[in-house]
Amino acid sequence: MKINKSIIRTFILLLLSFHFSCEDVVSIDAPTDKLVRAEVFSNDETAISAMDGIYNELHQAEFSSGSRSSVTVLAGLSSDNVQYLNSGNITMMEFQDHEIAPTNSGNLELWTSAYNIIYLCNSYIEGLTNSTSIDAELQQQLEGEARFVRAFTYFYLVNLYEIVPLILDTDYRVNALKPQAEKEEIYTQIENDLQFSSEILNTSYRNSEKTSVNKFVAKAFLARVYLFLGDWQEAERLSTEVIQESASYEILENLDDVFLANSREAIWQISPIGGGGIVSHTNDGSMFVIDPFFSFFSTLKLDESLVEEFSENDLRREKWIGYNTSLNAFFSHKYKISSSTQFPIQEYSMVLRLAEQYLIRAEARLKMNEIDAAVEDLDVIRRRADLPLLAEINPGISGEALLEEIYIQRRKELFTEWGHRWFDLKRSGNIDTAFHSNPTWEMTDSFYPIPSEEISKNPNLIQNDGY
Amino acid sequence: MKNNYSRLKWVALIILGGIIFFLSKSATAATTSPPLFQQQVVSGLVTDQNGIPIPGVTVTVKNTKRGTVTNLDGEYSITAPANGTLVFSYIGYKTVEIQVDNNEEISIQLEGDISGLGEVKINAGYYNTTKRESTGNISRVTAGEIENQPIISPLQALQGRMAGVEITSGGANPGAASTIRIRGINSLRTEGNYPLYIIDGVPISAEPVETNSLLGTSGIDPLNNLNPSNIKSIEVLKDADATAIYGSRGANGVVLITTKTGAQAGTGLEMRIYTGLSSVPERLDLLRTPRYLDIRKAAFENDGVEPDQSNAYDLVLWDQERYTDWQEYAFGRNAEVTNANLTFSGGNDNTSFRLGGSWFSQGTVYPGDYQYRKLTGNMSLNHFSEDEKFNITASLNYGLDRNKITGDLKLGTLNFLPPNAPALLDSDGTLNWSEWAEAGLANPFEGYFNSNVIGTNNLITSTSISYEILPGFQIKSGFGYTRYDSDELWTLPARSYNPAGNPVNRSAHLSSVRESWIIEPQLLYTINFGKLEVNSILGATVQENNSSRQSLQGTNYASESLIGNLAAAQDILNARSSRIQYKYAAVFARIGMNWDKKYYLNLTGRRDGSSRFGPNNRFANFGAIGTAWIFSEEDFFNNAFPFISLGKLRASYGSTGNDQIGDYGYLDAYEATRGPGGLYPTALANPDYSWEVNKKLEVGLELGFWKNRMNFGLSWYRSRSSNQLVGYTLPAITGFGSVQANLPATVENRGLEIELNTLNFNNENFSWQTSFNISLPENELLRYPGIEQSSYANTYRVGEPLNISLNYDYTGIDPETGYYSFTDVNEDARLDFQDRTIVEDRTRELFGGLNNNFTYRGFSLQFLWQFVKQNGKLIYYNAGRPQNILSGYSSDGYQAPTQTYQGSLAFSNAINSSRFVEDGSFFRLKTLTLSYDLPGKFLQTIGIEKFNLFLHGQNLWTITSYGGMDPENSYEGNFIGNLRTVTAGAQINF
Repeated sequence: MKINKSIIRTFILLLLSFHFSCEDVVSIDAPTDKLVRAEVFSNDETAISAMDGIYNELHQAEFSSGSRSSVTVLAGLSSDNVQYLNSGNITMMEFQDHEIAPTNSGNLELWTSAYNIIYLCNSYIEGLTNSTSIDAELQQQLEGEARFVRAFTYFYLVNLYEIVPLILDTDYRVNALKPQAEKEEIYTQIENDLQFSSEILNTSYRNSEKTSVNKFVAKAFLARVYLFLGDWQEAERLSTEVIQESASYEILENLDDVFLANSREAIWQISPIGGGGIVSHTNDGSMFVIDPFFSFFSTLKLDESLVEEFSENDLRREKWIGYNTSLNAFFSHKYKISSSTQFPIQEYSMVLRLAEQYLIRAEARLKMNEIDAAVEDLDVIRRRADLPLLAEINPGISGEALLEEIYIQRRKELFTEWGHRWFDLKRSGNIDTAFHSNPTWEMTDSFYPIPSEEISKNPNLIQNDGY
Repeated sequence: MKNNYSRLKWVALIILGGIIFFLSKSATAATTSPPLFQQQVVSGLVTDQNGIPIPGVTVTVKNTKRGTVTNLDGEYSITAPANGTLVFSYIGYKTVEIQVDNNEEISIQLEGDISGLGEVKINAGYYNTTKRESTGNISRVTAGEIENQPIISPLQALQGRMAGVEITSGGANPGAASTIRIRGINSLRTEGNYPLYIIDGVPISAEPVETNSLLGTSGIDPLNNLNPSNIKSIEVLKDADATAIYGSRGANGVVLITTKTGAQAGTGLEMRIYTGLSSVPERLDLLRTPRYLDIRKAAFENDGVEPDQSNAYDLVLWDQERYTDWQEYAFGRNAEVTNANLTFSGGNDNTSFRLGGSWFSQGTVYPGDYQYRKLTGNMSLNHFSEDEKFNITASLNYGLDRNKITGDLKLGTLNFLPPNAPALLDSDGTLNWSEWAEAGLANPFEGYFNSNVIGTNNLITSTSISYEILPGFQIKSGFGYTRYDSDELWTLPARSYNPAGNPVNRSAHLSSVRESWIIEPQLLYTINFGKLEVNSILGATVQENNSSRQSLQGTNYASESLIGNLAAAQDILNARSSRIQYKYAAVFARIGMNWDKKYYLNLTGRRDGSSRFGPNNRFANFGAIGTAWIFSEEDFFNNAFPFISLGKLRASYGSTGNDQIGDYGYLDAYEATRGPGGLYPTALANPDYSWEVNKKLEVGLELGFWKNRMNFGLSWYRSRSSNQLVGYTLPAITGFGSVQANLPATVENRGLEIELNTLNFNNENFSWQTSFNISLPENELLRYPGIEQSSYANTYRVGEPLNISLNYDYTGIDPETGYYSFTDVNEDARLDFQDRTIVEDRTRELFGGLNNNFTYRGFSLQFLWQFVKQNGKLIYYNAGRPQNILSGYSSDGYQAPTQTYQGSLAFSNAINSSRFVEDGSFFRLKTLTLSYDLPGKFLQTIGIEKFNLFLHGQNLWTITSYGGMDPENSYEGNFIGNLRTVTAGAQINF
């Protein structure tokens, strides 16, 4: 009995001295390689890191990567600029032949990656908005950057698919069943986001490289959006503001320098550093450049109709187009490096550059009947290509002919960059003429199908016409 | 819920408190309490039926831990209480109990009992049982079957020896983790199928260790650093009765590894050494140059294409006479294997210890200087107080290994090079780029000079302290600490790569640490009420694991010799680190009861809490009931079937769980992006997910005939895993394709296992023993609502096993095109997943082993046949492509040699069809050991107790119709699985 008493006494003592609950026993510290969301947005540094994460991921996301299922490659194939070398690759050939199956895996990757970037932006914007501990000015700045990336992504979605779900938050329970929004509604959102960005953002690049978004990036892109929407005045006004920022941007004389990292012509670029690993260079380079040694790795060549469009003495023909004898194929040589482990990275993937702003302004001015001013802008592009200036050889050019010339210059200047040609064919109304020789061409082919896998998971999505 | 936690808290507190209290008590008790009865020395001689002395018989004082063993002359001497009982036990003989009754000399004769069924203690984890009394299903392999095998991880020794345990080799690279599946695949996630490893009571993570090296696909086996020679037994717990006490970690079975402990008398020194050679036992039957070139030429003729430099470099550019046996070149070497062991053990009545060390080295079959080396040390200590009440055991196992393996050997492509391909290396030993570049090819040996050095250290310690407070009432606690670290350097010198690409010297570094501690206080109570015997345990577990990893890459080293010296790297890239914590707490209980040693009932249960689950779902209960009826103890049965010495029926049912779901999965968290300096969310967060539940049912029959000369066991089991934790699919517009959630999907494993052991012949000079096991497993995905819309839609089918491949329906060769053709099931003029309607089952249909053991005087011959019935696939390479194709190729049944796209599309579809399915079954002479014990009489004169010489062979002979390298990996035709190893060695005991 004595023992029993001392047992009880000991237990009581122990109970008094220890007081823990089992929840504590199995509750753990947060891991060091993960940060709980609330913590990410609790201080300036991690909030900045999360924005840099989005820029890094733009290199990984298929749609913006410049690789196989990017806008650059797929919309390039859909246009009359790029062709696939291996006609047996059904996934890719469907884009070239305008016969995209709703089950096409490239199309699904494009769609999926774009919405992943939108999720990153939405999650980011939500985190910032709920945060109370970030420097107010920085908070605005970062929100401007994230809203830009979101608008940028929606711009491609709406132009590729016409109507898509407009997702602005992260609640997967609701978003999983979201129906498509009208094109106008999406454009309104794009405009809102870009206007916010172009007002809020600083004029300098936050990370001193041209891979973050500043005021001029937002303006340059908004100029393009207004051009697509036919708001000539706004397009002209915004592109002018960018062109006038000569401290940051200029048209480079040497065509070989245009696509270098942080080149003076670049307005916004995506750095391949986002790929991590042993550093490589741009996906655009590895997709388009045909290496004489490794030609068997190559999959893309330039459409001969594009090559024929250049006159003999066009510098872009010489500098930006290469030829591989063993494949008898022309290739885009804007990026010079197909693959390299050199560090620092020599070339960044170009998204926005000054030449496009001149072309936007030329077109906007033409639409506003300012023919001479339009010619002047177009001649900036022609001069660099070492072509005779329109102002000299054809000063009295008609508006119609000038518009045609602008589209031709856009094709020659912006080929293999972000599907410009495909969108130009669509918005100019020339698409039917461009492809009428293709027996399977239909007008409904100008929009890609909504991936069937998405429709099977979200019954509220409606397939585009013709699929 | 709060109430439940506090109940748990109370139980834990009571146990913890009790331990601390009694430990302090015991210290005094051990020194002060006098022996209760008069002690006296008893000695005697132990002989067999023929009067021949038996050395090594264990003699213990009943209900104490005191014991000794008989010497070479069968003599023993032990101190025992005058009214005590001596227990004589020896494997192969019936255990005998004799009252001391003040006798000073007790000599006895032991009666042979081959099975040792009733006597051998089986480790069931928290308690011990015997084969006879066990209500659960536990398989066991002991030291004799493990210690001489030239293997790195002890798990490899289990192949073919246990019913229901399927082990496939991780490949020929030393250190690669084998895959172990106990009674099939339970989880839809491949990473959710590891069993629980427990070494001397301490859990070890079964997840293979991450590596950048060639071992990357299988990972590094976390048991590599254990010394197989230091293992006493490996028990595998299979059914609910045995595993439920491990709760949320027992779903995939439990592997208990017990290391050797010291002898209880005298001192001894044991030396064991062996050395031998390993080689790749099989080669693929590949074409020689002339036949290869003929087929290539035929392809061009069929296509009407003119061979040129770019499409037919092997015909146009390369030497038409040259021949290289690329298999010989890539893995034709012999790898040396050497192992040395030294053990010192000793003790007296109260204390015993064992100290040992070992060295192991193994080369590789590849070109280049690569080697695996391992050094281990172990220590164990066992002590109990004079009054037998206090007991402490401690064990420590330490191992370090260094694995230098080739950095980038592209075996998969190397052996299929055209037989007339140019040399890979120039005469000066550098890579030959020019000749390959002419053909527009990179040298397939690119990366040849890369190497990987992985060093790991592993420490496992465990301590157990117990004290008997009252007769039958014991308080006990186990403590364990483990630490595993690995450090890896992958060097990539520039000369491994084509100079045209301006390569630089690079390195990749990876290091990781796994550390854990565990405390398990327990109360044990045994009581008899007449014929009712009750054994009970109440215990608690608190465990914490911390693991961390760092990785980074260095680039632009000025010279090759500096690679790895980070200070000399111009840039350091992709530096990453992470730290993971896992905490686990539980209370568990077991009540084992039997009535008159006839009727058995075993109840086990556990309440678990794990940090791997969201705060709302951290706790759950598991439990099982097991029963057994030894009907041979019933008089009516005994009278009717006197030749049946044991008849037992047993059944168990219960639930276990699976918490292998990765840590922190429930957190809404950001991670570092692959690019530097960025953070991003990588998944949608679901704070509510929980464990997978596994319900196991088992029925077994065990029979022993003719005094257990023949033993037969039959088990039928069924286990159902539900609440499957899977990626619940979502449309991509939500940002991600899925969110982790528990689905009401159910996977069932069921099957039959048969074990048969016979003593065919036994007399003074000669004995022959046979053991046989066979497993007939079946696996089925019972239900998975919404599978069509899930990411598993094209992987699994409801009503079919998990390990399947969905195939096209092969319809023969299209006579028009000459290509393979298939049924377009949905008639949409294209072949896609909708047309892959033929289900090919890749589960093993049956497997097992047949072991024979012959002894004649000092000689013994043991050999194990392993057999597996399964399907396989061997792909006959696309005739016409510039890869070497198997020489089985002939025009019948194969598509016409062709280079066209349509031809290769037809071929790649054929790979995903029933076309190349073949029989992957095999019989394999897994191990063969011939050993000879030098006569004892002679040895004694020179002071040696035992001298044993042995020859051992591993994977000596395989009988199969499968044409690939190793039928064990019957879906990977050119995968080198098991090496053939022949070793010779000796064991000397002083």
